[in-house]
Amino acid sequence: MHTTVVRVQNVFGFFTSVAFAIAALIAVSVVFAPQSPSASMELRNIQVVKGRPHYYSTKREEYANIRFDLDTDLSTLFNWNTKQVFLYIKAIYPSHLPSEPPTEAILWDAIIPATSAPWHHNTYIHPSTKAPKKVAKSKPQPPPSYRATAPGDAPGVLHLRNQKPKYQISDPTGKIAERGNATLELGWNIQPWVGALVWANYVDLGRWSGVKGGRSETFEFPELKGAVKKEELGTMKGGEGNRGKPA
Amino acid sequence: MAEELLEKARDVFEGQIDFEGQRLAEYLTQGILTLVGAVAFLYGYFTQDIYMTLWIGLAGTALTFVAVVPPWPFFNKHPLQWLPPQNGYSGINIEVDRKKTS
Repeated sequence: MHTTVVRVQNVFGFFTSVAFAIAALIAVSVVFAPQSPSASMELRNIQVVKGRPHYYSTKREEYANIRFDLDTDLSTLFNWNTKQVFLYIKAIYPSHLPSEPPTEAILWDAIIPATSAPWHHNTYIHPSTKAPKKVAKSKPQPPPSYRATAPGDAPGVLHLRNQKPKYQISDPTGKIAERGNATLELGWNIQPWVGALVWANYVDLGRWSGVKGGRSETFEFPELKGAVKKEELGTMKGGEGNRGKPA
Repeated sequence: MAEELLEKARDVFEGQIDFEGQRLAEYLTQGILTLVGAVAFLYGYFTQDIYMTLWIGLAGTALTFVAVVPPWPFFNKHPLQWLPPQNGYSGINIEVDRKKTS
């Protein structure tokens, strides 16, 4: 501590130790925040059609387009150390060989930011819960309100009706029609400001209880359809559809 | 003239403090930073606002730098008492080449 430079080094060195200790404390403090998420999910509609992975592909595959209803209350996942929650829905169905684990495919996802997180154009925009107004086509559309939850709801509360998927799903074999014993399952990953990513969704851990509900009833993929209206096969891009484009 | 200026500049840059001041500086560094860390964590935890933890921690660190790094007068209150300059060889006569050295 004799000269200025040595004192700067000493202060900064001890600051890093303190910062690391505080960060560790913050990471551990999450364990004491109770979590009691709940969700209910219902299948609305499935269509299975032939398609190709990209425009120039000669491969023809079957694609399933799954629409669903989702009501969640994940607000307890948002404690002081939560930056965002990555929410996703998987379709799970048995593989062809019983010795293999079941096949999982993600059909929808969303990034739900905490209120403390700065706005980012990749975050999820909750659709309006009001009845859509009829707008004349010539009029310019109002800009979407960039909110991950409906007005008045806490972060993590979602109410989706007849939601279009973000991704049409297929199977490694290319055949997905008439596969049985499938379920939709909600999953998420809590991404903290400091600390570990948490994937525990269905297990009780101390003060964290697993999600109530969160799985749909089992269903069967329908048979292949020849001609389906284009609107019924729509997918919906999230906020990340803006990526790379000027705001 | 230029050398004097340079000497002064070096003194200001080095900012030397005495031994008691060094003890105090070390004590202040660890005390303030630990206290600030504890306050930052507790305040952030009880208001559930992690930004407050961040800002309190950074502000406290800045305060510590200001308090400890410059050679404040209170770090130089115990200047070292050097012995008066002596001629250590005064009592001894050493002859070098038949000439007395003193």
